[in-house]
Amino acid sequence: MITLESVSYSYPRTGREAVSDLTLDLARGECVMICGHSGSGKTTLCLAAAGILEHEYGGKKAGRIVVAGKDVRDYRDLSDISSNVGILFDDPDSQLIFTTVEEEILSALERRGFSAEEVEERLARVLEITQLTSLKDRPPHALSGGQKQRVVLATTLALGTDILILDEPTSELDEQGTENIVSLLKDLKAQGKTILLVEHKYRKMADLVDRLVILEDGKIRNEGIPATVLEDEAARRILIPDFSGIRNGCVKKGGATPVIHTEGLTFSYGEGDALSEVSLDIYPGEFVAIVGENGSGKTTLVKHFIGLLRPGKGTVMVDGKNASTAPVATLAHSVGLVFQNPDHMFFADSVFDEVAFGVDNLGIPDREKVVSNALSSVRLSEARDLYPRWLSRGERQRLAIACVLAMQPAVLVLDEPTTGLDGSESREIIEILKQLQEKGHTIIMITHSREIAEECAARVVRMEHGRIISDICRGEGE
Amino acid sequence: MAEILQYIPGSGLFHQLHPGTKILFIILVSIITILTTSIAVLIALLLVLFILALAGHLFKQVIQQMVLVVFMSVILYLITIVTVPEGTIVGYLIPSFIPAIGGNLPITIDALIVGTVLTLRFAILITAFQLFVISTQPRDLVHTMERAHIPADYTLMFVIALRFIPTLQMEGKRIHEAQLARGYHPGEGFIGRIKSVAPVMVPLVSNSLARATLLGLTIDIRGYRTRKRTSLRERKMGMTDKIAIPLMAAVAIAFAYSFVMVYLS
Repeated sequence: MITLESVSYSYPRTGREAVSDLTLDLARGECVMICGHSGSGKTTLCLAAAGILEHEYGGKKAGRIVVAGKDVRDYRDLSDISSNVGILFDDPDSQLIFTTVEEEILSALERRGFSAEEVEERLARVLEITQLTSLKDRPPHALSGGQKQRVVLATTLALGTDILILDEPTSELDEQGTENIVSLLKDLKAQGKTILLVEHKYRKMADLVDRLVILEDGKIRNEGIPATVLEDEAARRILIPDFSGIRNGCVKKGGATPVIHTEGLTFSYGEGDALSEVSLDIYPGEFVAIVGENGSGKTTLVKHFIGLLRPGKGTVMVDGKNASTAPVATLAHSVGLVFQNPDHMFFADSVFDEVAFGVDNLGIPDREKVVSNALSSVRLSEARDLYPRWLSRGERQRLAIACVLAMQPAVLVLDEPTTGLDGSESREIIEILKQLQEKGHTIIMITHSREIAEECAARVVRMEHGRIISDICRGEGE
Repeated sequence: MAEILQYIPGSGLFHQLHPGTKILFIILVSIITILTTSIAVLIALLLVLFILALAGHLFKQVIQQMVLVVFMSVILYLITIVTVPEGTIVGYLIPSFIPAIGGNLPITIDALIVGTVLTLRFAILITAFQLFVISTQPRDLVHTMERAHIPADYTLMFVIALRFIPTLQMEGKRIHEAQLARGYHPGEGFIGRIKSVAPVMVPLVSNSLARATLLGLTIDIRGYRTRKRTSLRERKMGMTDKIAIPLMAAVAIAFAYSFVMVYLS
């Protein structure tokens, strides 16, 4: 259904090939999963296979792409190709144009030459299979990241194309949400759809995938059935994160004062409690994972540690300071918060300046040395003069950690630090965190992946509906 | 977070009107507002809009927007006071008891009149436009504009701008929080303020630009530039439209007549 013959491509104004000499063949009803480091050419491969590079991008192109038996050059335009291929890009927000879920799906359907009855019928069906019927009048900004991804998937599925190209359809979804999408994709495959899938969650998708392709620097590194590809050690590490040797034992408390102490912490955004009666003590040098599904209150909790939110009821003490009243800038000396999306912070012209921003704000002396140390801790010393936004997702995530690390906080809080990263990139991030823990930092990591939490952190705090439902510390110690 | 200019589902007076009727309404209100300088006419027009908002169950939203109007009116008054120094002086912006600089910047009756007219015009245009936007589904708007042979690009530009207002508000807030966590503190003085904009504005603009490419692709994939639309869930002119259009025509004729009369005399 999709054939790529020696496809190479360089984006305009770049000398480097984003993908080179790709040859790949997808048979009808087959599901092929593409993996690789961030920046290895996965998205470019999707754009190529959907004919988008051919029709919408400049740059240098070579090779031949055949979709549904026809060379992509022979299609009239994108909307013509999209009668055969449904494509989903990785950023859901940029694929939502209208102000309600229903309008959005209609907009995908009403210029396809279907009759009015058929449009209505398809709309109803796709709302049902993507479980969006109850959300059909919601505006996009009132949807969670995961719900937006479902809406965008619905607009793609509504057309009923035989070929689906999906670029990270579950990146914003928690465990339950991912499972729902996987079972939906299984149904589609059973109906004979051909699926080209870019994903990092191989373990969740193993039943679905017929063939694996691992990309490295724009080239195919491995290709074949999963059993064969997994035999290659490096490919295996990309597909299945290996966190062995990371987890330390439980930290001995021995009468120490907690660095973070909350008692009866309750908070509400307006309707219902986002946090209710949360009492938690975290001791210096601990590696704690906070796990829970989307909306369980994880991010709301950690925002209290640095004063971005103030408790409605209860107390929050951080490093001896009262976090209910202390200014954010004061708390920033003790707590460093790395947000989920690193692109929400980069504004400087170089990696060095980006890291120096926080250092200067807090008036930390010895700027040059502090910044260099932070960069070397996250293995980015080489990149110090580069423009932050040119880095790959994995590198940007590490830069975000450096920015906060350079401010020398006792506690580092990371919100979903492995989003969008493959197995070996995730391992790299976690290794960095472990080294920081060994240097004496307290590490608090938010994640919705139970696997990552349990494999990396000695202590796992589980949240549900704004409450802590379990708090388990394993290994030696208490 | 307050939602600016977002469609609110409903079934009130404005929701019942056809988007085309509402566009005519906006045009009529704008023309009257711009051509007249009579404070009485402007006040009457604003009151009519308020009554219509009340009838359309959209009064709360309209009143919320008045904060912006008050803020703008202060600026408008200041500008007119500085730029219209001739006429009967009723006071000074800098009271005369302040030594050395006191008694400067006279406030004249003419300036106050001009300021009032500008404020009223501003309030009317904002209210009318807001009533239109919050009561019209973007999809209906796109269809109506398409019927009027306005290229989809322009309509979509407008719709997407509206759609992204809350998204950008939220993203701005997140970026602000991320920078606060890095010890960012908005600078002092004018230069400090300007400098302190960069840490928030640069990521906001860069992220939006990165989004634009995909947005464009999505529009093309959905066939907006090239394909004909299936006729579906069409908005028909209803009873409300059949009453509203002749009414607006009468108002337009009456206004045109009085305007010409005043002009001739």
